[in-house]
Amino acid sequence: MNKIHLILALLAASTTSFAAESVKATVNGMVCAFCAQGIEKRLSKMEATKAVFVDLKNKTVAVEAKPDKTLDPKAITAEINDAGYDVVKLEAVPLSVAEIKAQTKAAK
Amino acid sequence: MKRAATVMALAMLVLPSVFAAPMGFKDSWMAMGDFSPNWREGLANYAVTARDAVGPSLLYMRSDDETTTRELAEVTYTRLLQRWNLPDAQANVWFIGGIGAVRGNDISGTRAMATPGVQVDYETTRIYVSALARFYRADGLNHDFASARAGFSFYEADYDEVQPWLIVEARRMRGLSADIEITPMLRLVQNRYFVELGVNNSQQLRANFMYIF
Repeated sequence: MNKIHLILALLAASTTSFAAESVKATVNGMVCAFCAQGIEKRLSKMEATKAVFVDLKNKTVAVEAKPDKTLDPKAITAEINDAGYDVVKLEAVPLSVAEIKAQTKAAK
Repeated sequence: MKRAATVMALAMLVLPSVFAAPMGFKDSWMAMGDFSPNWREGLANYAVTARDAVGPSLLYMRSDDETTTRELAEVTYTRLLQRWNLPDAQANVWFIGGIGAVRGNDISGTRAMATPGVQVDYETTRIYVSALARFYRADGLNHDFASARAGFSFYEADYDEVQPWLIVEARRMRGLSADIEITPMLRLVQNRYFVELGVNNSQQLRANFMYIF
């Protein structure tokens, strides 16, 4: 019985550690889709990136990490800079890009 | 939590920014075309840095009376001189210039031509304005060019939606066009697609496109 509890506990811990985590960047100057595609392309090519979501209206970009990878905020900032924009805020959010996208769509 | 703390700490290291319009993002190719009976231009450039792009350009120009033509092949260099990234807008100053060879139906052989110019633009999600002045100079030739554009989008759009704009451009080229060409155009932007379609004040069709690879 104790063994079963232990396995369940490990499973729960494992699920928590693999919970989707994303980095959300607030970006200045991101005013058109044609220009912002550079951000999506560059961030998508990063090794740790699972998904990217560009939200033009709120001027944010969300990057979701692959399950076994860690996103590097400095690298994300550099990629957005190389796409031509300024990052003014970075925050970690415990949501997947799909969840962020759904929240954004629901808020409209 | 540790990861969040790391994110917040590194957020302090935010770096300054770079580029946009007549070139793509760093390490990208951009193709552009501008086609009407008197002006046919095709060019591509590669962004070697976030601020610098180089590439080939071909331009065919014809006078209003259709008697004089010019064909220019050049290598262009585009440099983002200054950018202001604002919370809801972006403004830029660009250098656009080229060196190449020009020939025409009223001149013999080809001549070396230099085409330095400056573009300024300002854009929000709903408003666009720009101005371009560019010299087209060769021995015995002066086809200096100027254009101004202004327009608005009908509504804001998401990244994956089509955003329509109404853009009006006025342009003139010395020595080839005595009149100012005015073209209202419908601009459609979606993700990596950018097209403009219009009819100028001489009732000629005009089509532009841009694409980033």
